[in-house]
Amino acid sequence: MSLAAEAFVSQMAAAEPWPENATLYQPLKDDQILLSDHASSLSVQAYLRMCGLPVQVVCRANAEYMSPSGQWCRNWALGYFAGHSLSDALDDVQRAEMKAYMELVYNMLLSAELYLQWCDDATAVEISRPRYSSPYSWPLGKILAYQKQWEVRRKMNAIGWGGKTLEQVYEDVSQCCQALSQRLGTQPYFFNKQYVFCLPSCPCCLYGHVAAMADRLLKSNLTYFLNQQRDYLACLKLIHQRKAGHCCGVCKT
Amino acid sequence: MAAAMELRCWGGDWGLPSVHTDSLVVLAYAKFSGAKLTVSPVDWTWKTLTAAVPELVCGDSVVQGPTQILNFLRKRRLNADYELTARQGADTMAYIALLEEKLRPALLHTFWVDAENYSNLTRPWFASRSPFPLNFFIPSRLASVALARILVTKGEGLLHRISEVEGKIYSDAKECLNLLSYRLGTANYFFDNSPTSLDAFVFGFLAPLHKAELASSPLQSHLRQLDNLTRFCDNILAAHFSADKPCPLPPVQQTMDANLQKLTQLVNKESNLIEKMDDNLRSSPQHKPHRPDAKASLSSSKSSTPA
Repeated sequence: MSLAAEAFVSQMAAAEPWPENATLYQPLKDDQILLSDHASSLSVQAYLRMCGLPVQVVCRANAEYMSPSGQWCRNWALGYFAGHSLSDALDDVQRAEMKAYMELVYNMLLSAELYLQWCDDATAVEISRPRYSSPYSWPLGKILAYQKQWEVRRKMNAIGWGGKTLEQVYEDVSQCCQALSQRLGTQPYFFNKQYVFCLPSCPCCLYGHVAAMADRLLKSNLTYFLNQQRDYLACLKLIHQRKAGHCCGVCKT
Repeated sequence: MAAAMELRCWGGDWGLPSVHTDSLVVLAYAKFSGAKLTVSPVDWTWKTLTAAVPELVCGDSVVQGPTQILNFLRKRRLNADYELTARQGADTMAYIALLEEKLRPALLHTFWVDAENYSNLTRPWFASRSPFPLNFFIPSRLASVALARILVTKGEGLLHRISEVEGKIYSDAKECLNLLSYRLGTANYFFDNSPTSLDAFVFGFLAPLHKAELASSPLQSHLRQLDNLTRFCDNILAAHFSADKPCPLPPVQQTMDANLQKLTQLVNKESNLIEKMDDNLRSSPQHKPHRPDAKASLSSSKSSTPA
């Protein structure tokens, strides 16, 4: 379909109200889901709760294959919600900064998570491959796990991360966290003192990644960097408190 | 006494010190930070095959890649970002990530994948700058690396085609250019009045697009309508790369005119819609029955127009 037609279809879809039975599918929480998927899922949940849109989270073993694009969480969070114009309250320069910081989060944190999961041999053998293949029987699970690892390594090589060492990746994550902490400063939110519609998806993505890193399997490696950024963690806690019932639901996931 | 530093990079043309984006970033930063580099173009040497361009050689150390080279120079107190605040440093990282993610794929496509540009400009240029017999396969190797990079980072699975991602990458790139234009405004540089590493990166990405004689490029046309970005590139060339004595930059007085505002608004709208449709169209099967008639009529009536 041409771009113009697709844009027209999107406009029509944008006019529809948010469905009551909207469902977010994610991989199985206890056995299968990996750090990066968990982070993406938390980001979307935070975004939806901040918008006040109800969503039901359902775990499925084949969640990854439901999305044709493979980037289900990211594009969803960015632009799907017509009528919930999160960026309208920002001026042009702020919108530019917001998009830039979102790319920083995806570029740096997501790439680091993928690297640690699949390019670090120890983690891949002990955690990632067993978890990824857990819903499937042998030999399908093994094949899928190796295929996923091959895909991620290919992507890391393409973006120039293939030659990096673990220490270099940690250094990059540390710099990224410092940059985000500097940007946040002592304000409650990234772009405004107010809540919700002045609050674009950037902090939601961030919250997702930080909460996932603080909570999950690679505690010893990545939470070290988070603990260095005390201001930043304190501000995230403020987000939790402000949203009370909304975010408490997210924290429990 | 500091060891001499030698930079290996692709040579210059089209009024630029180098036609290669990453090499241009390093050259610009070296000018801004006052680093004394010996520039050794790899043109017509076997280093076109063996070297990972750009490459900085200092004594026994060899550093590759623009980010690593800039870090290396900073550690040697050649720091163009010295006067930035911590917040501005954070903004720099964010904008560089934006450039890498949104603009680089479209630039790679424009120069290396677009058939007309590749066969008329890029391939002849790189073939003419490579020694025999490398001139037969260096351009095609660089082109396949570029295509792989686009598909792996922007594609949607193992069996993907470039035509499916073209529209998205060009609309992302146009949006990125708009955002840079808004951020720059009427200033000469992105932070205050002195150039920093962000200016080097933006210059490295935009200058080849601005100066190359491309046969067909909607992205170049879009850039040329953003006067402040083209003026930014020309100012840096005049002030830092001109053979004459660098002259002080003229004060900028004009604001963006109404046409420009309209242009950037239109592209923003287009890119927002395309982001939404990107997932709308690939929504899960239970949503598809809602609009079967609309889709069928649209696909027959609208013609395909890649960005």
